Amino acid sequence: MADTLLELKGVRAGYGDAVVLDDVSLEVPAGESVAVLGRNGVGKSTLLLTIMGFTELRRGSILWQGEDITYLAPHLRARRGLGWVAQEREIFPSLSVEENLTVTARPGRWSVKAAFELFPRLAERRLARGNQLSGGEQQMLAIARALTTNPRLLLLDEPLEGLAPIIVEELARVIRRMTADEGTTVVLVEQHAEIALGLTEHAVVLERGSIVHRARSRELLANAALLDRYIGLKLPEAAGA
Amino acid sequence: MLTSLGGVLFDGFAYGMLLFLLSVGLSVTLGMMNFINLAHGSFGMLGGYVTVTLMDRLGWPFLATLPAAFVAAAALSVVLERLLFRHSYRAGELDQVLLTIGVVFMSVASAAYIWGTVQQPVQLPDYFTGSFTFLGVNFAYYRLFLIGTALVVTLLLVAGLEWTRFGAQVRAAVDNQRMARGLGINVNLAFAITFALGSGLAGLGGSLAIAMVGLDPDFAFAYLVYVLIVVSVGGLASIGGSFAAATVLGISDIAGKYYFPALGSFLIYLVMVGVLMWRPAGLFGKR
Repeated sequence: MADTLLELKGVRAGYGDAVVLDDVSLEVPAGESVAVLGRNGVGKSTLLLTIMGFTELRRGSILWQGEDITYLAPHLRARRGLGWVAQEREIFPSLSVEENLTVTARPGRWSVKAAFELFPRLAERRLARGNQLSGGEQQMLAIARALTTNPRLLLLDEPLEGLAPIIVEELARVIRRMTADEGTTVVLVEQHAEIALGLTEHAVVLERGSIVHRARSRELLANAALLDRYIGLKLPEAAGA
Repeated sequence: MLTSLGGVLFDGFAYGMLLFLLSVGLSVTLGMMNFINLAHGSFGMLGGYVTVTLMDRLGWPFLATLPAAFVAAAALSVVLERLLFRHSYRAGELDQVLLTIGVVFMSVASAAYIWGTVQQPVQLPDYFTGSFTFLGVNFAYYRLFLIGTALVVTLLLVAGLEWTRFGAQVRAAVDNQRMARGLGINVNLAFAITFALGSGLAGLGGSLAIAMVGLDPDFAFAYLVYVLIVVSVGGLASIGGSFAAATVLGISDIAGKYYFPALGSFLIYLVMVGVLMWRPAGLFGKR
């Protein structure tokens, strides 16, 4: 069995007085990929923000390769090897595409050159400012920027949200390459449950801040009743069979 | 008329450069951390007193006191930032104003206790005391030096912010602090360094200001108003904005006093109101 890269133990977290996650435990083995599914507002993004250290953690602990990082500052978590693609992309608008990549790049497999090879469109727009990019280009840049930090674990927060189908296909291809070919460990939060389950090996379903179901992605994709119940996803007969 | 206009533009530009040195640090730190540091003028005042003390009591040459003023103001700002200011980054704006205005009162009282309330004279070196005339305009050597210093500082700041990794990290932190942290940038350290540099520049500005505007314990309050005007007119976190605003305001102030002496410094406020009605975020501001 692969070593556990990230482990959450009984995590209770939220913002201010509001508790969003309650008693969440999760193990992410190295080299594997996990989809986090659930309806809107169940705490999927909060889970990633908690892993990065941006919420108020009231109970539980977070371990990174066995090290307790529960109270470690976010920038130190990132330097340990946690890569984060935020839900709203959050590109640095006053920096050029190239600067967005170089400003936090760390040595490793994913150089800026490799990122440009992965997303040739970004290479063409390397001198454009972040605020001059289309939504699809911003999402490519957000993923490329996280990759150039050469993370051991990549947290992707709804990377396909609001994008044109052709861009969704391209990004799904990139995520598949990372998970299947490159062996990058990925935690993927995604509204497009079908796509997310097709890209990952494992899945957890969140409901009202707690994990209510765990399964292999392939098995969950085959269980139309569960998907309908937890996510409200009604699969076509052929897929749900 | 044209001759006097040339003189007003030159003197105004020199005065504007002084305002730029005093204010650029506050613009960057206010834009970066949303921390309202009204004590910024106190670092300028400290720079002035460091120069006076080193020259009068230790016999240092004027030019040698300039880097010392920079370092002293930067060092004190690091101490205050670590001991006091950092605890109120997440506090409300009123708390920050009350804390930093309290620091200004303490600095004014301390300056009055140590150096007295009288104006501090400074004897400029001989090579700064003369002037020459070109096309009917009188160019004072010291003001040329002031302009040259401010331009060099501007170039260094722009180069540092635009062409270095640290500068890009500062800009990234100004754009989006949370994302910058999430990607591994130590925003607190970047802020502390930027804060120290900005305060150091205020110290340098205070040191250079003595020969033009004098120095007494009221300096921290008197120039706080000008500094805030430059920052609001130029826009937060913009070196170009601070430069443009300081230039416009410096020339406006000198022109107002020269052509409309009855109005005194009123013109500078009129310019501020006009610019902010036209562009509420300042000339180069984004928010």
